[in-house]
Amino acid sequence: MAHARPIATTRSATGIPTPRLAIWWILASEVVIFGGLLGAYLMHRIGHPEWAEAASHTQTWIGAVNTFVLLTSSFTAVLAHQAAEKGKGKEAAKLLAFTILGALTFLMIKSYEWTIEIMAGYTITANTFWSFYYTAAGLHALHVIAGAIIMGFIAVDAYRGRELHRVEIIGIYWHFVDVVWIFLFPLLYIAK
Amino acid sequence: MSENNEQRDEHGHDDGHHVNYFKIYLILLVLFGISVIGPEVGAVTGLRWITLITAFGIAFVKARLVVNNFMHLAWEQRIAKWLLASSLILLLLFVAGVAPDVMNHEGNNWENVAAKQAVERGLAAASGYSEEEAESEGPLEGVIASGFSAQNSFGQICATCHGVGGEGDGAAGAALDPAPASFIDPVFWQGRDRDRIITVIRDGAAAVGGSALMAPWGALYTDDQLEQMADYVMSFRPNQ
Ligand code: HEC
Repeated sequence: MAHARPIATTRSATGIPTPRLAIWWILASEVVIFGGLLGAYLMHRIGHPEWAEAASHTQTWIGAVNTFVLLTSSFTAVLAHQAAEKGKGKEAAKLLAFTILGALTFLMIKSYEWTIEIMAGYTITANTFWSFYYTAAGLHALHVIAGAIIMGFIAVDAYRGRELHRVEIIGIYWHFVDVVWIFLFPLLYIAK
Repeated sequence: MSENNEQRDEHGHDDGHHVNYFKIYLILLVLFGISVIGPEVGAVTGLRWITLITAFGIAFVKARLVVNNFMHLAWEQRIAKWLLASSLILLLLFVAGVAPDVMNHEGNNWENVAAKQAVERGLAAASGYSEEEAESEGPLEGVIASGFSAQNSFGQICATCHGVGGEGDGAAGAALDPAPASFIDPVFWQGRDRDRIITVIRDGAAAVGGSALMAPWGALYTDDQLEQMADYVMSFRPNQ
């Protein structure tokens, strides 16, 4: 990358550029946050056969469509990274915009789904299954929102050819959000 | 090696490898398709292992593909992998540590009553009763949870006053004034039809000008169950 960067972002004892090392640290803590939540869910799920009934009311096809949306947005995010590697800022920005579009689609579908559930009386207090459902999917949705906002800033910079290395960093984060959903989907929607 | 890597990282770490992202994406989509269809097949055939492998096994394969090829962890410095691995190990330790307590509902010296009740209530609710009914506390809980039969219900609720045989000689009925009606008395049936019986069971005898001692039981029964209760009471009626 041709532009000057502050020294702190290039110095690295690990051989990993500092921003990328930072995102790995974040993800290492996210592993424990999401993992702890899903682990607790899984243990309760196995100890409570009656949750199968509650779980059978989740909208599998909506979850499936959202899985497709996130997978696709991950694909555009990695293409944005590829474009940034080649110094093509505008193309990277465009691909990030597609990724943001994916995030918004995901959130819209999620709101639709939650509206159905809440109208049917399946609220966060209905029983412990639904508490886990809203907590896990809600925490994940917050990550989608945060990612989309940050990606917006990075896309604007990238469009002007600035801070292209950040495209990779937000991409790594975004793929992690995708990976979390890859596990949430079978746990919340498929296991009946 | 580290010199080499630093060099590479200066330029972004893409230099050493070329991933066909589109191919990875297609593989992910195919796996995704299998993870949706597999559990359906598992449900139809009743083979749980198909569901487990296609839903959860494939999730791990997909995650691995994304982590290695999209996040480029496969080409990352080893220390990043160790960082993530130690997180995962901590997580597994935590889960393994609490699993025995969370997943068991009793041990040698303890019993998790609340969890057991939750399971019972949940299973009752699943077998056709609304959660509200199943969650209602008190002595009636068992009646509702165990599946409906008019005879059982009469035996457990009404018989305390009306007697198992409907003669009005239940243990609790003796002290009541007016005494509970005797359903085997032909006089009782003069001017009483099925509609009235349904009304009394649902709204109480007070609703037809009788005593409030015969309480309204409508909250206990669905419309269909009310009719079954009435039919059961009618079955005591002597043939004339
Ligand atoms: C607490 C005691 C008690 C219980 C329990 C009870 N009843 Fe009664 N029931 C009475 C009494 C007392 C009367 C007489 C009321 C009157 O004469 O005004 C009565 C009257 C009736 C009558 C005749 C009402 C009429 O005038 O036509 C019917 C039918 C009846 N009960 C059905 C039931 C059924 C079905 C149940 C169970 C769901 C039940 N009862 C439970 C005390 C009870």
